[in-house]
Amino acid sequence: MSKTYATINPCSMCMPMGTVIAFKGIENSMTLFHGSQGCSTYMRLYLAHHFREPVDIGSSALSQEGAVYGGAANLKKGLRNVIQGYTPTIVGVSTTCLAETIGEDVPRTISEFQRQEPAVRDIPIIHVSTPSYAGTHEEGYAEALKAIVKRLATKGEPQHKCNLIIGSIISPADVRYLKDMLERWPCDCIVFPDISETFDAPIVTNFPKIVDGGTPLSEIRDMANSTATITIGGGVWRADAGALLRDRFGVPHVALPLPIGIENTDYFVAAIESITERELPQRYERERGRLLDALIDAHKIVNGIKAAVYGDTELALGITKLLREIGADPSVVATGATTSTFAQRVRALSPSATVLYSADFTRVHKEITKNKVQLMIGPSTGRQISLKESIPLVRVGLPISDRFGAARQMIMGYEGMTWMVDALANALLDAS
Amino acid sequence: MVPLYKSSFSTDMKEKDIIFGGERTLARAIRALVADYHPPAVFVYSTCIVGVIGDDLRAVCTAAAHELKIPVIPVWSEGFRGNKNEGYKAACDALLELIGTREYIPKKRFTVCLLGEYNVAGDVWPIKSYFEEMGVEVVSSLTGDATVEEVQRAHCSQLNLVQCNGSMEFLAKRLEEKYGTPYKRVSFFGLKAMASALMTTAAFFREPSITEQAQEIIKREMSRVLPEIEWYRRHISGKKAAIYMGGAAKAVSLVNAFKELGMKVVIIGTQTGKRDDYEKIDSIVKDGTVIIDDANPLELQDLLIRQEADLLVSGVKERYLAYKLRTAFCDFNHDRTKTFEGFTGMINFARELHTSINSPVWKLPVERKHCTQFSKALANA
Repeated sequence: MSKTYATINPCSMCMPMGTVIAFKGIENSMTLFHGSQGCSTYMRLYLAHHFREPVDIGSSALSQEGAVYGGAANLKKGLRNVIQGYTPTIVGVSTTCLAETIGEDVPRTISEFQRQEPAVRDIPIIHVSTPSYAGTHEEGYAEALKAIVKRLATKGEPQHKCNLIIGSIISPADVRYLKDMLERWPCDCIVFPDISETFDAPIVTNFPKIVDGGTPLSEIRDMANSTATITIGGGVWRADAGALLRDRFGVPHVALPLPIGIENTDYFVAAIESITERELPQRYERERGRLLDALIDAHKIVNGIKAAVYGDTELALGITKLLREIGADPSVVATGATTSTFAQRVRALSPSATVLYSADFTRVHKEITKNKVQLMIGPSTGRQISLKESIPLVRVGLPISDRFGAARQMIMGYEGMTWMVDALANALLDAS
Repeated sequence: MVPLYKSSFSTDMKEKDIIFGGERTLARAIRALVADYHPPAVFVYSTCIVGVIGDDLRAVCTAAAHELKIPVIPVWSEGFRGNKNEGYKAACDALLELIGTREYIPKKRFTVCLLGEYNVAGDVWPIKSYFEEMGVEVVSSLTGDATVEEVQRAHCSQLNLVQCNGSMEFLAKRLEEKYGTPYKRVSFFGLKAMASALMTTAAFFREPSITEQAQEIIKREMSRVLPEIEWYRRHISGKKAAIYMGGAAKAVSLVNAFKELGMKVVIIGTQTGKRDDYEKIDSIVKDGTVIIDDANPLELQDLLIRQEADLLVSGVKERYLAYKLRTAFCDFNHDRTKTFEGFTGMINFARELHTSINSPVWKLPVERKHCTQFSKALANA
C-alpha cells in the first residue's frame, strides 16, 4: 500500500453512523450524538438518502463554550430533550471527534443526569465511544453491539431460544428474510439488532414518533440465558458481543461469515440445524435448488468476468466468495476500513485478487483501470468510476443514494444470491 | 480522473495526528494534491478536532501558498463555531482573501456581480443569458459556476445583486465598504421576482437600451411561459403549502411564488432566519399561517398535520417525513436536480408541484377496505 497524504473520496463512512444503525435495531430507541450539530445533520442526511426514511438523531449541539469548558450541560440538555420529545425506553449516546478530543467524561455525565432526574433512572443510557478518527461506521456498529450487550444482558432463568447477532450492517429486507427462515424452521431466536421494520416502515394512518419494530429490551436482556449464539458477519471485527455472552454467561458462541453465497449460507443452515436439531425446511431446499439452477442458467455470461468489489468488509468478503462460486473473477477487492485481517481473508478466497484496505476511490480507480475490470459491485460511492470508465455497477451495500430500493435489497441466503446472480448477469447484458 | 468538483479531499486524520498534530500531514497533502490536480487555488477547511488540537492552519496555508505559488486559503469551519450562519461568514472571509487580487477590464460598459447565487441545477445559466441580452456583463457569480479568476475579479462590478442574503449580505457589505460597490437584494425565483430583478438592474444603470431590452425579455419570456404555468396553476390552485427552508431569502421568494400559483401558505419556517427576516415573513403571509423558527422533526410533523398541508417544500431530511404523513413534497434544497430560477424555471417548479400533489398515490386507501364483492359468487363453492 503506497503512502498517500490525502484521502480522496473515501470508501467508508463515519463511526457514529454505525452506532445509529445498531440502536435503530432496538425497540423504542433513540440515539444522541455528543458533539457539534453538524454531525447529526449529516448522518441523518446520508441515512435518509439511503433508506428513504425519515431519521431522527439527537444532538448535544456542542458550541465553542462547550468545547472550552466542557459539554456536560449540553449533553444533559440534549438527553432531556430527546427523552421528553420521543419517550424512548433506551438511549444511545455516541461521542463524536469533538467530545472525545476534549476528553468528555460521558459515563459520569450520564450517571449524574440519571441521579438528578429520577424519571429517567430506568432508561438505559448507553455510551459508545465513536470518534471518526478511530474507525469507520463498521467499527461504530460493532462497538455499539458490544456496549449494548455488555450493559443489558442479564442472568436469569435459562430458556430455549438461541441468539442471532447480526455482526455487520445488512439491509432490512435481509433481516426479514433471516427472521422468516428462522420462524419457519421453526427456531425460536432472538435476532439482534433488528432493523427489519425500523428502517423500512410502512405507510400507516398515524405515523409514530419512533417507528415500531426492533429487538425488545427484554429479549436483549434474555440473551444471557439462551442456548447458543450465532454471530453472522463476525469475522473481521471479532464478534465481541457474542464472545461476551460466552465469557460472562457461558452461552456457546460461533462466529460465521454473512450468509452470502452458497457455502456461507450452507454454514449458517448447518449451525441452525445443530441448535434446533431440525433439518432445513423443504421450501428452502427447493430455494437452494432453484439457486443452483439460476447459476447454471447464467454461468456463461459471468464466467471469467473480472469484477471489482468494494464496501463494508463482511459484505465485500461475502460477495467475493459468491463471485468465485459462480465463476467470476474478483480481481479488485477494496474496503475503507483499516484492517489487515480483511486482506488475508480475501486472498484465502481469491489468491490473485488485488486487495485494498484503508482505500479511497482514487486508488480503487487505478486498480480497476489497471486490471481491466468489467463489472463493479458496491454502493453508490463508486458511481463516478462506473460513469467515467463505462463499467456497469451493480449497487449493493450502504450507501445507495442514487437508486430506489436500498432498504429492500436482498443478498443473503439462497434467495438473495439468486437475485444477485440475475442482477449481475443482467448488468453485463445491459452493458454489452 | 473523476471530475474535480465531484471529489472530496481529506487528510483523514487518525489518532496519531490528533496526539502529535496534523500540520505536517496537511502540508504534505496540499503539496501532493496540487502536484496531481494543478488547481488554481486551494481552500482548507478545518473541522472540530483541528480547532481543538490547535493546528496552525494559517501557518501551513501561508507556507504552502508561498511554495506552490497559488492561493492556499484557510476556512475556519469547525463544527463547534456555530450553525450555518457562522459557516457562511467563514466562507465569506475566505472569499475576501481572493477578491481583489486580480485586475480585470470588463468587456462591457455595464457590469454586475451575482452574490448568493449557487447555480443549483444550472439555475444561473439562463440568468446570465438574460443579463447578456440586456447588455450587462456578469463579472462573476459567487459562487455558482465560478472560477477562481472570477472570484478574484469580483470587485470589478458596478453593482452587486444579492440573492441569498443569509449567506452573502455580509460579503456584499464588505465589498461596499472596501470598493464602494452598492448592492441590491433581489430574487431570481418567481416570475415577478425575476422580472423585478432585471428591472432593478436596468433602473440602476439608467441606460435606455438596457431598460428596453429588459422589458423586451420580460414580455417575451412571460408570454412564452405563462400558458403552461396557467395550466398547472389550475390544477394546484387552492392547495395548502408548508415551507421549511434553511434560509429566509428562499422562504420569502417561495411565499410570493405560491401566491402566483394560487396556493395558500399555511406554515413557513427557516433554520437560520433572523429577527428582521421573520418580520418580513410576517408582513407577507396571511393570518392563520404558522411561522416557525428552527423546528425539530416532532414539531414539524405536528404542524403539518394540524395545518393540513397538502405539500411541503424543504430538503431531503424532511422529504420522507412528508411522505410518511402522505403529504406531497418539493425538493428546494441545494441538492435538487431541476432548475427553478428564471422564467422557464417557474414552469419546472409548477410542474413539480402538480406532479407530486396530483399523484393518485395519496388517494390510495391506507386501511384496506373490507370487500364483499366476491362473497356471493363463492358462497356455494
